[in-house]
Amino acid sequence: MISPLEARSLSLVREGNAVLDGVCFAVQQGEIFALLGGNGAGKSSTLLTFLGFLEPSGGEVLVNGASVSSDVAAARNAIAYLPEAASLYGHMNAYENLDYFLDLAGKSAGRSEIDAALERVALPQEARKRRLQSYSKGMRQKTAIALALLRETPILLLDEPTSGLDPVAIDEFHDLVKALATGGQTILMVTHDVYGACQVADRVGLIRGGKLVGSFAAENGERIDTETVHAAFAGRGVA
Amino acid sequence: MSAVTRIAREEWRLWLRSKVVIAAALIIAVLLAATSFLTIDRIASEQSQRLEQQIAAEQTFFAQPDRHPHRMVHYGHYAFRPPPPLAMFEPGVDAVTGQSIFLEGHRQNTAMFADTKAAADLGGFAALTPASLYQLLLPLLLIVLGHAMFLRERESGTLAVMLAQGQSGVTLAMGKAAALLGVIVIFMLPLIGVAAFSVSAGESALAAFTLVGGYFLYLCVWGAIVLAASVILKQRAVSLGVLIFAWLFAALIVPRFAINTSSAAIDAPGKIESDLVMLAEQRKLGDGHNAADPAFQQLQAQVLEEYEVETIEELPINWRGVVASYSEAELTDLLNSYTEERMGLEASQSRMFDLFGVASPTIAISSASRTLAGTDLATHHRFLREAETLRFDFVQALNQAHAEQLDYTVDINRSNDAASSQRARINAASWQVLNEFRFEPDSADERLARSGLTLGILLGWLIFAGGVVVFAARRVKI
Repeated sequence: MISPLEARSLSLVREGNAVLDGVCFAVQQGEIFALLGGNGAGKSSTLLTFLGFLEPSGGEVLVNGASVSSDVAAARNAIAYLPEAASLYGHMNAYENLDYFLDLAGKSAGRSEIDAALERVALPQEARKRRLQSYSKGMRQKTAIALALLRETPILLLDEPTSGLDPVAIDEFHDLVKALATGGQTILMVTHDVYGACQVADRVGLIRGGKLVGSFAAENGERIDTETVHAAFAGRGVA
Repeated sequence: MSAVTRIAREEWRLWLRSKVVIAAALIIAVLLAATSFLTIDRIASEQSQRLEQQIAAEQTFFAQPDRHPHRMVHYGHYAFRPPPPLAMFEPGVDAVTGQSIFLEGHRQNTAMFADTKAAADLGGFAALTPASLYQLLLPLLLIVLGHAMFLRERESGTLAVMLAQGQSGVTLAMGKAAALLGVIVIFMLPLIGVAAFSVSAGESALAAFTLVGGYFLYLCVWGAIVLAASVILKQRAVSLGVLIFAWLFAALIVPRFAINTSSAAIDAPGKIESDLVMLAEQRKLGDGHNAADPAFQQLQAQVLEEYEVETIEELPINWRGVVASYSEAELTDLLNSYTEERMGLEASQSRMFDLFGVASPTIAISSASRTLAGTDLATHHRFLREAETLRFDFVQALNQAHAEQLDYTVDINRSNDAASSQRARINAASWQVLNEFRFEPDSADERLARSGLTLGILLGWLIFAGGVVVFAARRVKI
């Protein structure tokens, strides 16, 4: 079976430094895969190669079995991407932002559909017509997630999605991600939040110095053990 | 709606929500409206005034009483150059060349242009005219609006989101270009209005709308330069600094350098300098007022032989009129040779100046603008030539009347007493020799042909800057 996302011996050299070195993993449909690592480990770079923003120096990345290098447009059409900074336009309100980016993605959504997506991410009604420059980071994040939802792509890439969110919002976000995976979306998230990764992911890959140094999977309906992953993350042992 | 249109629309939304942008655009719009109104009013007034003055000068000449014909030669006449209709937008070199000439015997009174040593200056950079606003201020507005239009997406992280929606860097750049194009089109409207008004005032539609096309091309060049900087550079402060320097370079530094280089490379002597050199040669021609000047001995022999008489008193024509006519022709040949040489040098300076358009689109448009408006150096030179023809023709016609209508003996005795002076006059009907003078700009075809080089340079600029934008946008990275 073709994996929606796959990295094959992925290597990346930027400005003479090896950022990624032989990274291999595949994410199955409906699976949540969390790539966990510290700052500069190569998490976001891995994610950006799937979008074709970075060209691998070695190996390849595949989206739905097709090499991203050979058809970057197809890869981007299959992926909804949530960047770390939830970058949207401050001079527009939530409706305008979503309408604009959906239009660029070649999708159209009516006001009711947009409202439904914003409802799903729990963005307050009164905030939706305000410009994003008055939003908190959490509210921006929710708007960006709503965009990802409205794209209705089979694959979702999340870059530090819970960074800056309060605990309640994080829990809500995790529930949302799980629901999306249950609905069949394939999710690759990169994070340095050990607890969050273990809470939401079906599998956690530990990346360090550009190498995938460990992998942890949920078994028998149990969540991944946080202590084990934390110990590995801190360098006290790798499963 | 295409992605390009949508991106452009959202850029406009951003601008319309920015107080700084609105204020800058309004200031320029008000300045443009005020300058256009004042210039149109001034030029329209000058047009009618000069035509009235030309007619008045002709009527005054015709209305002179019976006189000695040589007094009419020195009474003289005026030639006026009314500003062409497009001078409402582009007054061009008129400010430094002057627009009227006093025409009289034995002189070519055109001193203003060369005396100011402005052959290569060509005006336009100091005065606030609609043309100078388009040439200098609108590029600044494009810089204010566009210096960060692309790199802002990179700085804020929206570039990645946009690209992730499946759009390419080129599409994004084209969207931004379309947004700038919208600004350019809006600011072309006043010029289109002036052009239409000039057509209603008698200007050729082809020339007027080629001028509009030229400025559109020019502003597109600046739009492409601004966009290229925004795509290539990573920080908005750097982009703004680079573009302001580019503006200073194109609008001030290169023109000044071009003027100095043209003047240094092609040394055109001023009118005073060339007049001093010419005086020495003029003396050799003899004094036309003195029929006994030895310089005319050969002429005298020829004329006596032609009429088969022994003395000038026996001639059936007035010898003094013959000398005046001969002397005027000789002198005019000499004057014209110096004038043509000087105008040739000035034209060469002007052509060299135009070539600096490859280093500055502002030079290219300013040159094309003057040519298409009919306010360029070549038009001024043609005015000088036509005025000189008018001068020579009426002076020679008066000299002919002097030779044919006034008796030689009466003429040489005119200073004896009041009655002699009264007898040495000819009928005022003889003053009808003056031709009507109405200066018109060159045909649209001629102006288009003359502006071909500079418009071509502008097109080259657009292709180059547009190519840079596309090249950089294809390689854009988040």
